[in-house]
Amino acid sequence: MKIVGLDNLIFGVDNVADSARFLADYGLTPVDVTDRGGRFEAIDGTSVEIAHQSDTRLPAAPAPGCRLRKTVMGTADAATIDAIAAELSRDREVKRLPDGSIESVDDSGFVIGFQVTVRRPFSLAGEISNAPGSPIMRPVNSLGIIGPDAPIRPRSLSHLVYFVPDAIKAEAFYVNRLGFRCTDRFAGVGPFLQPGGSLDHHTHFLIGAPPQVQGVEHFTFHFGGPNELLANGYRFTQKGYQAFWGPGRHILGSNWFWYFNSPFACHIEMDADMDLHDATWAPREVALGADNSQTFLFKMREKWAPGPGIHTNGDYA
Amino acid sequence: MLCPATAIAEGRAKGFDLAEEGQDTIFVVRSGGRLHGFANACPHMAGAPMAWRRDAYLNSAGTRIVCHAHGAEFLPETGECVLGPCVGQHLTPVDIEVVPDGMLAVWLNQQKKQIVEE
Repeated sequence: MKIVGLDNLIFGVDNVADSARFLADYGLTPVDVTDRGGRFEAIDGTSVEIAHQSDTRLPAAPAPGCRLRKTVMGTADAATIDAIAAELSRDREVKRLPDGSIESVDDSGFVIGFQVTVRRPFSLAGEISNAPGSPIMRPVNSLGIIGPDAPIRPRSLSHLVYFVPDAIKAEAFYVNRLGFRCTDRFAGVGPFLQPGGSLDHHTHFLIGAPPQVQGVEHFTFHFGGPNELLANGYRFTQKGYQAFWGPGRHILGSNWFWYFNSPFACHIEMDADMDLHDATWAPREVALGADNSQTFLFKMREKWAPGPGIHTNGDYA
Repeated sequence: MLCPATAIAEGRAKGFDLAEEGQDTIFVVRSGGRLHGFANACPHMAGAPMAWRRDAYLNSAGTRIVCHAHGAEFLPETGECVLGPCVGQHLTPVDIEVVPDGMLAVWLNQQKKQIVEE
C-alpha cells in the first residue's frame, strides 16, 4: 500500500486565536483561517488544522484530554484508497467522505483518514555546508547564515507519536493492515514505523502507555536543516514559547530535534535531516534511556559576547 | 520578592524563574480570589515544565491549570490532577505570602503550604 506519509492533523482546541498564533509563529502558513479555526500549511501543502473543541464538525476524541481528533494520511493514488477501504471494511466501518477521502478508526481508537496526497512537489535545496573535499558546496559568495528577517518555513509534515494502551496491537494494525514497516524500536516501548510509500525513518512512533495517557506525545514538521531548526527554535523562544527538550540530535532516525510545549495537549517538535531507509534496512532495537535517545543535547542560551561587564566565569557562568 | 500581589488577576497565572535558568521554577495562580503557588513541574513526567508560552499555565477560561506537555488538567485551588495522564496526583505546592507592602513573597525551604488571603 502506497501510503506516502501524514497529510493533515486535526485538533480541537481550547482557544482558537492562541493556537492559530502559535502555529503561525512556528512557521506554518495560515490558509482559510477564521475565528472558527482553519488550516496551517507547510511548503508542500501538508498541514495542521484547528477548530474549537466544541465544533460539531470534529470527530470525537479517542480519549478524554486528547486534542487530536483525526490523522489524515496521504496516498500515492486512488487505487491505494480503494485497497485500504477494502482491507479495513473487513472488520470496521469505513466512511466515504464527499471529498473522496475515506475515514475509519485504528485499533487504538484514533480516527484515521486517507486521501490522495495533497503534497505538492517542490524543488528547494536543503542546507549545504562548505566542507573541504566535498563535491557539493554552497555557491561562491552565498552566505551560510539565515538573516534575521529571512522567513523560515517548515517543509513537510514529518511524524506523529501516539501514546497507545497496547503497543503490540497498535503496531500490528499499522504493519499487517496498512503495510507499514518497523525501522527501529525502543525495547518494551514501541516501534518507529514507516509507510510503504515513504523512505523517511518514521512517520509514526508508538509508545505503549497506561490507558489514561492515551493521546499524542508530539508531532513535527521537517525543516531545511539544522541551521533552520536552531534559528527557528531560537526565534520561537524569544516569542515566549517554552522549550521541553533540545536542541539535540536523535540517534534512531538521526533527526535534529527541538521540542516545545503546545496548546494541543502534546509537544510539538521541529526536526531536520532525518535518515532515509528502504526495505533492505535491518531494524535496530535499543533500550530506552538518555544515551540511546540523543547523540548530543544542548540548551538554549541568551546571546552573549566577551567584553566589559560580563560575569567572572564568562559564557559558562 | 516576586511581584506586587495585585499583578496577578483572577483567573491568571505568572511564572517566576527563581534560579535564572531561562525557565520558570514556580508559578502562582489566582483563583477564587486567592493566590496559590506551585512548582513548575508536572507530576506526570519528572522535569516537565508546564506552560506553553510565558505565563500560559491555565486553560482559556482560567479555571484549570493545564500541563501543556500532555494536557493534564489540575484544580487551581488544590493542585489535584483531574484529567489526563496523572489523575489523582498533585502539583507540588510552594509557600507564598503577601507581605505588608503588598509584594508577593516566596519561601522555598518551608514544607507547609500557605494560601494567602489579601
